[in-house]
Amino acid sequence: MVRIKTVNIVKRFGNFVALRGVSLEIKDGEFFTILGPSGCGKTTFLRSIAGFERVDEGKIFFDDEDVTYLPPHKRNTGMVFQNYALWPHMTVYDNIAYGLKVRKVPKEEIDKRVKEVLKMVHLEGMEKRTPHQLSGGQQQRVALARALVINPRVLLLDEPLSNLDAKLRLEMRAELKRLQKQLGITTIYVTHDQEEAMSISDRLAVMDIGVVKQVGTPEDIYNRPSDAFVANFIGQGTFIKGNVLEIHDDKMLIELESGLGKVYAVPSDPTNAPKEGETVLVTIRPENFELGSRKDMNNFEIDVYHVSFLGSKKRVQAEANGIKFLVDVDPDAVVSAGSRVKVWVDPRYTLAIRIS
Amino acid sequence: MSLLPSPFSFKDIRRWINEIRWTIDPFIASQLLIVVSVFLAFLIAPLIRIVYNAFIYQGTLSLAWFYSIFSDPFYISPRISLTNEFPYIAIEGIKGSLYKVITRQTDSGIETIILLTGYDMGVIPNTILVAISTTVLSTIIGFVFAFIFARYKFPGAEPLRILLLAPLLSTPFVGAIGLKKMLTSTGVINTLFYDILRILPFKIEPSGLMAVIIVQTLIFYPIVFLNAYTSIINIDPTMEEQAENMGASGFYLFRTVTLPLSLPGVEAGALLVFILSLEDLGTPIVFRGTNAEKVLTYQIFYRLFTPTGYVTGEATALAMILLTLTIVIFLVVRKYVSLRRYAMLTKGGIWRPRVRKLSLKVTILVYIAAFFTLFMALQPHIGVLLLAFAGEWGPTLLPGYFTLDNFLVLFSDPDVFRSIMNSLIYSSVATLLIILLGVSAAYIVSRIEIKGIEMLDALVTLPIAIPGIVIATGYFLIFLKTPLDPIVNGAYLLIISYTIRKFPFTVRAVFSGFEQVDKALEESAINLGASRARAFFTISLPLVFLNVLAGGMLSFIYSMSEVSTGIVIGDANPYTAPMTWKMYDILFKGLTGGLFVPAAMGVILMGLQFIMIVGANLLLRKRATALIGV
Repeated sequence: MVRIKTVNIVKRFGNFVALRGVSLEIKDGEFFTILGPSGCGKTTFLRSIAGFERVDEGKIFFDDEDVTYLPPHKRNTGMVFQNYALWPHMTVYDNIAYGLKVRKVPKEEIDKRVKEVLKMVHLEGMEKRTPHQLSGGQQQRVALARALVINPRVLLLDEPLSNLDAKLRLEMRAELKRLQKQLGITTIYVTHDQEEAMSISDRLAVMDIGVVKQVGTPEDIYNRPSDAFVANFIGQGTFIKGNVLEIHDDKMLIELESGLGKVYAVPSDPTNAPKEGETVLVTIRPENFELGSRKDMNNFEIDVYHVSFLGSKKRVQAEANGIKFLVDVDPDAVVSAGSRVKVWVDPRYTLAIRIS
Repeated sequence: MSLLPSPFSFKDIRRWINEIRWTIDPFIASQLLIVVSVFLAFLIAPLIRIVYNAFIYQGTLSLAWFYSIFSDPFYISPRISLTNEFPYIAIEGIKGSLYKVITRQTDSGIETIILLTGYDMGVIPNTILVAISTTVLSTIIGFVFAFIFARYKFPGAEPLRILLLAPLLSTPFVGAIGLKKMLTSTGVINTLFYDILRILPFKIEPSGLMAVIIVQTLIFYPIVFLNAYTSIINIDPTMEEQAENMGASGFYLFRTVTLPLSLPGVEAGALLVFILSLEDLGTPIVFRGTNAEKVLTYQIFYRLFTPTGYVTGEATALAMILLTLTIVIFLVVRKYVSLRRYAMLTKGGIWRPRVRKLSLKVTILVYIAAFFTLFMALQPHIGVLLLAFAGEWGPTLLPGYFTLDNFLVLFSDPDVFRSIMNSLIYSSVATLLIILLGVSAAYIVSRIEIKGIEMLDALVTLPIAIPGIVIATGYFLIFLKTPLDPIVNGAYLLIISYTIRKFPFTVRAVFSGFEQVDKALEESAINLGASRARAFFTISLPLVFLNVLAGGMLSFIYSMSEVSTGIVIGDANPYTAPMTWKMYDILFKGLTGGLFVPAAMGVILMGLQFIMIVGANLLLRKRATALIGV
């Protein structure tokens, strides 16, 4: 198990820059996720760690060892590919034993380790099957077993759950997390599914167009987005542009655009707090709204145009002065499309994000 | 095809070099080195030598050969002069006519023979005109059938479609031997339709250039047929449905959507036919006598036949002209038949194609057209088969009697037997070399992504465009009085020429295999610690094994039936010559056996071809459809 550090890595494909100076530090034994939309560079990052892409600039370290120019087959990483990449001409046993044979492990030990890892992924007795005789979930487990059996320094997972159906995906997600904790293996997980990233990671990095936008725990990233892209990409919300009028100790007064009046807000990222006169994106998560109005809080009057019932809550879509609002209310609240309602939100949950 | 990033700066070049050093490990580098050096030595060097020799006259750099060729009416006979009267241009020097009418007295009265000969405008215009005519005719026949079979359903469509591909099972040389027997004024067709059935009011006999065009058309149309068929059934049906949804139908729909979408396949097929017609040597040889020998391939061939192996400057200049023609076409073809493009063309076919039923009236029309084409297209095979089993055959519908003697000769005559064994050995060795080099080349083109790798793609598909006669000329220029001297022993150069000429068949089959093997399969092996060489041998190679086998079988059979280099290099030393040379030798050097023994040899070739093509198709199933398309 290792700590992984990248320093300013840059990767170009022709004129396209896939990674624009990515610096990340992943702790030993951590479950770390790279989250971002397709084309953001997350898979390129993972492939650079595995050594399949040669970075044009920057350095990659496993602990203190510089592996930047180490060829992929000498890096001892265990990668699980999006489509599993199981070899169709080999049995489950041969697939899993491959990495051990390459390492010239004695026959008896191979048998023992393959058996162990199959037990670990709940596939005892499947040794003789070929990949096409397995279900999608089983194939996934074989791919995982094949990566784990070589005791890799780091486990690399490239959207491993995206080919599974929704129910299986939840199951495998829990399974993956269990195995990772049990083995304590440093893991880098790549996905575009924000819910998945939130639920599985110790920490995550949000990427966009080759740049890391924010690194933090899931809570940090959801509650304290440091950037307009992150605020938009993670979770949902109401986004209103505004100008900072005054700064107080712990909050600031903001004049909203579109004539929505003034609100009090807190800086989303205290290390990058907006200054007086700057433009900010005011972000409010739907669950932080309450129906009605209250003094000293931020009050809005909104026109409801759609209400959807989601079981544990009602999601209200509304509009005020051309700005879209997303508001969650109790499932038994009486709100209907076409009505005008009042809502309020605590300034502590009214986040001001600096727009550069 | 720029090698360097442009606009390039020092930094870009350094990046490019670093990228290469990273991507090309010792394993890939050695593969690349071997493939490239073989092609440089045995394809590029001979071509450069031809170009060099063509410009040397009496020891100095000169355009003399070209000047004498272009001013000689033998090569270009039409002369254009200006006149004072409308249309102010006069063209003189076109000899011959489209047809000649001959009447002659026979025992049963006067018979009229329409002799189709064609104009003679000199070697160079003839060559181009033959190629254009063959291409146009093949394209029309091929496309019409492709469209009908791809889009309409009628009883017997599937067997008929496969039968219409039958001409693929012959080479121009073998086919022309059979066709000649079928088409002469005393041949089967005239005997049947004029003498027996009395349907025709006169006899028709194609000869000279017209015969070449007819034979080539009948043998090459399946190439357009296959390519067009594949591209029509691969048109996403929703494209046409969308057009119909917007109100297009009938011919309008065909003209605006179906035709443009199927055009790449049709064009690729047509251009390949054009090249094959340009480089065909077998047909002009078989029909020589009238004006069929007035084409470039035959003229070069004729000038190469010297016991000393000395090649005149005129021959090299002619070879260069032919080469220029085929290379120009090849550059156009590249748009369609680079390995990468090929892979794109063959993916798909997952949807249900749009198929309609034909009305009875049209079905009957299709049957008539198909059966007529089929009847004509099968003439070479019928002819060769009949000849092979014939004892003697005068001007009658069928041979006098049937016998197996012709096949016995293949074993009893030591010269014939040796030539067959030579062919088998050379083709086997060539196939092994092709597989060794072809797998490497296909692997590199499919897997390595660095700037400049498309040059390799171009290099290994280039043999499609190089006429065998040109390669043979180049070999004579370079390898006389070296250890590879064909006069001492033709085996080496024959094996090498087969290897180079039939390379594209295997490399395409294997490439399409690698394209279907997900890159991640190899990467996961490398990720688990395997070197690239180990991943290649344990993962990639086993997965494309069937493609290798199928491609190898195709290369083998096309080596067996290779005519141009076989005859030319073979002639340098009869003892080491292959069977195609022996067929030529028996046919035209007045030896025993006449038409019958070469026909028997032709049957052996066709039988082998049948086994291999069916075998390759069974191995590759659907994927094989377009493989034979060259």
